[in-house]
Amino acid sequence: MDGPLPLVLLAASLLFAAVVLVYVVLDRTPDWGLLGFAAVIEALTLVLLVVAAVQVGDVDLSGGGLVTLFGYLVAGLVLLPIGFVWSLAERSRGATAVLMVAGLAQAFVVVRVMQVWPS
Amino acid sequence: MSRPSTSTSAGLGRALVAVYGVFALAATARSLVQLATKAGEAPLAYALSAVAALVYVAATLGLAEVGPDPRRLAWAAVGFELVGVLTVGTLTVLDPELFPDATVWSDYGAGYGWLPLVLPFVGIAWLWHTRARD
Repeated sequence: MDGPLPLVLLAASLLFAAVVLVYVVLDRTPDWGLLGFAAVIEALTLVLLVVAAVQVGDVDLSGGGLVTLFGYLVAGLVLLPIGFVWSLAERSRGATAVLMVAGLAQAFVVVRVMQVWPS
Repeated sequence: MSRPSTSTSAGLGRALVAVYGVFALAATARSLVQLATKAGEAPLAYALSAVAALVYVAATLGLAEVGPDPRRLAWAAVGFELVGVLTVGTLTVLDPELFPDATVWSDYGAGYGWLPLVLPFVGIAWLWHTRARD
Protein backbone atom coordinates (compact mmCIF):
# COMPACT_ATOMS: atom_id res chain seq x y z
CA MET A 1 0.00 0.00 0.00
CA ASP A 2 1.39 3.39 -0.94
CA GLY A 3 2.05 6.05 1.64
CA PRO A 4 2.75 6.05 5.36
CA LEU A 5 -0.88 5.51 6.43
CA PRO A 6 -0.55 1.89 7.70
CA LEU A 7 2.55 2.74 9.73
CA VAL A 8 0.90 5.88 11.16
CA LEU A 9 -2.14 3.80 12.10
CA LEU A 10 0.04 1.12 13.68
CA ALA A 11 1.95 3.70 15.73
CA ALA A 12 -1.28 5.42 16.78
CA SER A 13 -2.84 2.12 17.91
CA LEU A 14 0.21 1.17 19.98
CA LEU A 15 0.37 4.68 21.46
CA PHE A 16 -3.33 4.43 22.32
CA ALA A 17 -2.70 1.12 24.13
CA ALA A 18 0.22 2.70 26.00
CA VAL A 19 -1.89 5.71 27.03
CA VAL A 20 -4.61 3.37 28.30
CA LEU A 21 -1.97 1.50 30.31
CA VAL A 22 -1.11 4.79 32.02
CA TYR A 23 -4.81 5.30 32.77
CA VAL A 24 -5.01 1.79 34.27
CA VAL A 25 -1.92 2.34 36.41
CA LEU A 26 -3.21 5.71 37.68
CA ASP A 27 -6.72 4.19 38.11
CA ARG A 28 -8.23 6.89 35.89
CA THR A 29 -11.49 6.23 34.09
CA PRO A 30 -11.69 6.80 30.32
CA ASP A 31 -12.42 10.43 29.43
CA TRP A 32 -13.27 12.46 26.33
CA GLY A 33 -9.58 12.73 25.42
CA LEU A 34 -9.29 8.96 25.18
CA LEU A 35 -12.53 8.75 23.22
CA GLY A 36 -11.24 11.44 20.82
CA PHE A 37 -7.96 9.54 20.35
CA ALA A 38 -9.95 6.40 19.52
CA ALA A 39 -12.12 8.40 17.09
CA VAL A 40 -8.98 9.53 15.22
CA ILE A 41 -7.79 5.89 14.96
CA GLU A 42 -11.25 4.87 13.80
CA ALA A 43 -11.25 7.58 11.10
CA LEU A 44 -7.76 6.55 9.93
CA THR A 45 -8.91 2.91 9.73
CA LEU A 46 -11.84 3.98 7.58
CA VAL A 47 -9.45 5.87 5.28
CA LEU A 48 -7.23 2.76 5.12
CA LEU A 49 -10.25 0.68 4.11
CA VAL A 50 -11.11 3.14 1.32
CA VAL A 51 -7.48 3.34 0.13
CA ALA A 52 -7.29 -0.46 0.08
CA ALA A 53 -10.54 -0.71 -1.86
CA VAL A 54 -9.28 1.81 -4.43
CA GLN A 55 -5.80 0.31 -4.83
CA VAL A 56 -6.70 -3.38 -4.61
CA GLY A 57 -7.46 -3.55 -8.33
CA ASP A 58 -3.81 -2.81 -9.16
CA VAL A 59 -2.27 -5.59 -7.09
CA ASP A 60 -2.11 -9.35 -7.39
CA LEU A 61 -4.27 -10.71 -4.61
CA SER A 62 -6.03 -14.07 -4.84
CA GLY A 63 -9.56 -14.79 -3.64
CA GLY A 64 -8.53 -15.99 -0.20
CA GLY A 65 -6.14 -13.09 0.28
CA LEU A 66 -8.82 -10.63 -0.74
CA VAL A 67 -11.30 -11.99 1.81
CA THR A 68 -8.58 -12.01 4.48
CA LEU A 69 -7.55 -8.42 3.72
CA PHE A 70 -11.02 -6.94 3.95
CA GLY A 71 -11.89 -9.20 6.87
CA TYR A 72 -9.08 -7.61 8.84
CA LEU A 73 -10.03 -4.11 7.68
CA VAL A 74 -13.65 -4.56 8.77
CA ALA A 75 -12.48 -6.07 12.07
CA GLY A 76 -10.37 -2.94 12.50
CA LEU A 77 -13.51 -0.85 12.22
CA VAL A 78 -15.48 -2.70 14.91
CA LEU A 79 -12.80 -3.42 17.53
CA LEU A 80 -12.66 0.00 19.19
CA PRO A 81 -16.42 0.71 19.20
CA ILE A 82 -17.16 -2.71 20.74
CA GLY A 83 -14.29 -2.20 23.17
CA PHE A 84 -15.72 1.14 24.31
CA VAL A 85 -19.23 -0.24 24.75
CA TRP A 86 -17.90 -3.14 26.85
CA SER A 87 -15.49 -0.91 28.78
CA LEU A 88 -17.76 2.04 29.62
CA ALA A 89 -20.48 -0.16 31.13
CA GLU A 90 -18.36 -0.38 34.27
CA ARG A 91 -15.97 1.86 36.14
CA SER A 92 -12.98 -0.19 37.19
CA ARG A 93 -9.36 -0.79 36.28
CA GLY A 94 -10.32 -4.01 34.52
CA ALA A 95 -12.93 -2.19 32.46
CA THR A 96 -10.39 0.46 31.42
CA ALA A 97 -7.90 -2.28 30.52
CA VAL A 98 -10.45 -3.50 27.96
CA LEU A 99 -9.46 -0.49 25.84
CA MET A 100 -5.81 -1.58 26.02
CA VAL A 101 -6.83 -4.99 24.66
CA ALA A 102 -8.76 -3.24 21.89
CA GLY A 103 -5.78 -1.00 21.04
CA LEU A 104 -3.36 -3.94 20.87
CA ALA A 105 -5.82 -5.93 18.75
CA GLN A 106 -6.14 -2.90 16.46
CA ALA A 107 -2.34 -2.79 16.07
CA PHE A 108 -2.33 -6.53 15.29
CA VAL A 109 -5.00 -6.01 12.63
CA VAL A 110 -2.91 -3.28 10.95
CA VAL A 111 0.19 -5.53 10.99
CA ARG A 112 -1.80 -8.33 9.36
CA VAL A 113 -3.17 -5.94 6.70
CA MET A 114 0.42 -4.88 5.89
CA GLN A 115 1.47 -8.55 5.69
CA VAL A 116 -1.42 -9.60 3.46
CA TRP A 117 -0.93 -6.66 1.10
CA PRO A 118 1.47 -7.78 -1.67
CA SER A 119 4.56 -5.57 -1.77
CA MET B 1 -14.10 -6.13 54.17
CA SER B 2 -16.63 -6.94 51.49
CA ARG B 3 -16.63 -10.34 49.92
CA PRO B 4 -15.07 -10.52 46.45
CA SER B 5 -17.53 -10.25 43.60
CA THR B 6 -18.79 -13.54 42.17
CA SER B 7 -19.41 -11.93 38.79
CA THR B 8 -17.08 -13.27 36.10
CA SER B 9 -17.52 -10.16 33.93
CA ALA B 10 -16.67 -7.51 36.53
CA GLY B 11 -13.33 -5.91 37.24
CA LEU B 12 -10.42 -7.94 35.89
CA GLY B 13 -12.98 -10.27 34.32
CA ARG B 14 -14.02 -7.48 31.97
CA ALA B 15 -10.55 -7.36 30.44
CA LEU B 16 -10.43 -11.18 30.33
CA VAL B 17 -13.73 -11.24 28.42
CA ALA B 18 -12.24 -8.70 25.99
CA VAL B 19 -9.21 -10.94 25.33
CA TYR B 20 -11.47 -13.97 24.85
CA GLY B 21 -13.68 -11.86 22.60
CA VAL B 22 -10.75 -10.96 20.35
CA PHE B 23 -9.82 -14.66 20.11
CA ALA B 24 -13.45 -15.59 19.37
CA LEU B 25 -13.65 -13.00 16.60
CA ALA B 26 -10.28 -13.92 15.11
CA ALA B 27 -10.78 -17.70 15.32
CA THR B 28 -14.29 -17.53 13.86
CA ALA B 29 -13.21 -15.29 10.97
CA ARG B 30 -10.15 -17.41 10.27
CA SER B 31 -12.18 -20.60 10.35
CA LEU B 32 -14.84 -19.22 7.99
CA VAL B 33 -12.18 -18.11 5.49
CA GLN B 34 -10.45 -21.51 5.66
CA LEU B 35 -13.66 -23.47 5.21
CA ALA B 36 -14.93 -21.19 2.43
CA THR B 37 -11.76 -21.01 0.34
CA LYS B 38 -9.76 -24.21 0.88
CA ALA B 39 -11.74 -26.70 2.95
CA GLY B 40 -10.37 -29.72 1.06
CA GLU B 41 -6.69 -28.99 1.62
CA ALA B 42 -6.41 -29.83 5.30
CA PRO B 43 -9.81 -30.98 6.57
CA LEU B 44 -8.58 -32.05 10.00
CA ALA B 45 -6.77 -28.76 10.70
CA TYR B 46 -9.72 -26.68 9.47
CA ALA B 47 -12.27 -28.71 11.41
CA LEU B 48 -10.12 -28.15 14.46
CA SER B 49 -10.01 -24.42 13.72
CA ALA B 50 -13.81 -24.41 13.65
CA VAL B 51 -13.99 -26.28 16.97
CA ALA B 52 -11.50 -23.85 18.53
CA ALA B 53 -13.58 -20.93 17.28
CA LEU B 54 -16.73 -22.37 18.90
CA VAL B 55 -14.85 -22.91 22.16
CA TYR B 56 -13.65 -19.30 22.24
CA VAL B 57 -17.14 -18.01 21.44
CA ALA B 58 -18.60 -20.19 24.24
CA ALA B 59 -15.92 -19.07 26.70
CA THR B 60 -16.54 -15.42 25.83
CA LEU B 61 -20.31 -15.73 26.28
CA GLY B 62 -19.92 -17.72 29.50
CA LEU B 63 -17.47 -15.30 31.09
CA ALA B 64 -19.54 -12.33 29.90
CA GLU B 65 -22.50 -13.94 31.72
CA VAL B 66 -24.71 -14.35 28.67
CA GLY B 67 -27.27 -17.17 28.64
CA PRO B 68 -29.08 -19.25 31.27
CA ASP B 69 -26.11 -20.93 33.00
CA PRO B 70 -23.05 -18.91 32.01
CA ARG B 71 -20.72 -20.23 34.72
CA ARG B 72 -21.25 -23.83 33.63
CA LEU B 73 -20.75 -22.77 30.00
CA ALA B 74 -17.54 -20.96 30.91
CA TRP B 75 -16.18 -23.92 32.90
CA ALA B 76 -16.94 -26.32 30.04
CA ALA B 77 -15.44 -24.04 27.39
CA VAL B 78 -12.30 -23.14 29.34
CA GLY B 79 -11.79 -26.79 30.37
CA PHE B 80 -12.17 -27.94 26.76
CA GLU B 81 -9.78 -25.17 25.73
CA LEU B 82 -7.12 -26.38 28.17
CA VAL B 83 -7.45 -30.00 27.03
CA GLY B 84 -7.47 -28.85 23.41
CA VAL B 85 -4.35 -26.72 23.55
CA LEU B 86 -2.42 -29.37 25.52
CA THR B 87 -3.52 -32.24 23.25
CA VAL B 88 -3.08 -30.43 19.94
CA GLY B 89 0.11 -28.79 21.15
CA THR B 90 1.62 -32.15 22.09
CA LEU B 91 0.45 -33.84 18.88
CA THR B 92 1.87 -31.09 16.68
CA VAL B 93 5.21 -31.18 18.46
CA LEU B 94 5.43 -34.99 18.18
CA ASP B 95 4.09 -35.24 14.62
CA PRO B 96 4.14 -31.97 12.65
CA GLU B 97 2.71 -33.76 9.60
CA LEU B 98 -0.60 -34.38 11.34
CA PHE B 99 -1.83 -30.84 10.78
CA PRO B 100 -0.41 -29.51 7.51
CA ASP B 101 -1.84 -26.05 8.11
CA ALA B 102 -1.43 -24.27 11.41
CA THR B 103 -4.28 -24.01 13.89
CA VAL B 104 -4.51 -21.69 16.84
CA TRP B 105 -3.49 -24.53 19.18
CA SER B 106 -0.53 -25.82 17.12
CA ASP B 107 2.76 -25.87 19.06
CA TYR B 108 0.85 -24.84 22.20
CA GLY B 109 -0.20 -21.58 20.53
CA ALA B 110 3.36 -20.38 19.97
CA GLY B 111 2.21 -18.62 16.78
CA TYR B 112 -0.08 -16.44 18.87
CA GLY B 113 2.46 -15.41 21.47
CA TRP B 114 1.61 -18.44 23.68
CA LEU B 115 -1.63 -16.69 24.60
CA PRO B 116 -3.75 -19.77 23.70
CA LEU B 117 -1.76 -21.71 26.31
CA VAL B 118 -1.93 -19.01 28.98
CA LEU B 119 -5.61 -18.09 28.51
CA PRO B 120 -7.23 -21.30 29.82
CA PHE B 121 -5.13 -21.18 32.99
CA VAL B 122 -6.13 -17.55 33.55
CA GLY B 123 -9.75 -18.44 32.77
CA ILE B 124 -9.81 -21.34 35.25
CA ALA B 125 -8.09 -19.23 37.91
CA TRP B 126 -10.64 -16.48 37.38
CA LEU B 127 -13.63 -18.86 37.54
CA TRP B 128 -12.19 -20.34 40.74
CA HIS B 129 -11.54 -16.88 42.19
CA THR B 130 -15.12 -15.73 41.53
CA ARG B 131 -16.84 -18.96 42.62
CA ALA B 132 -19.78 -18.73 45.00
CA ARG B 133 -18.80 -19.11 48.65
CA ASP B 134 -20.97 -19.58 51.71
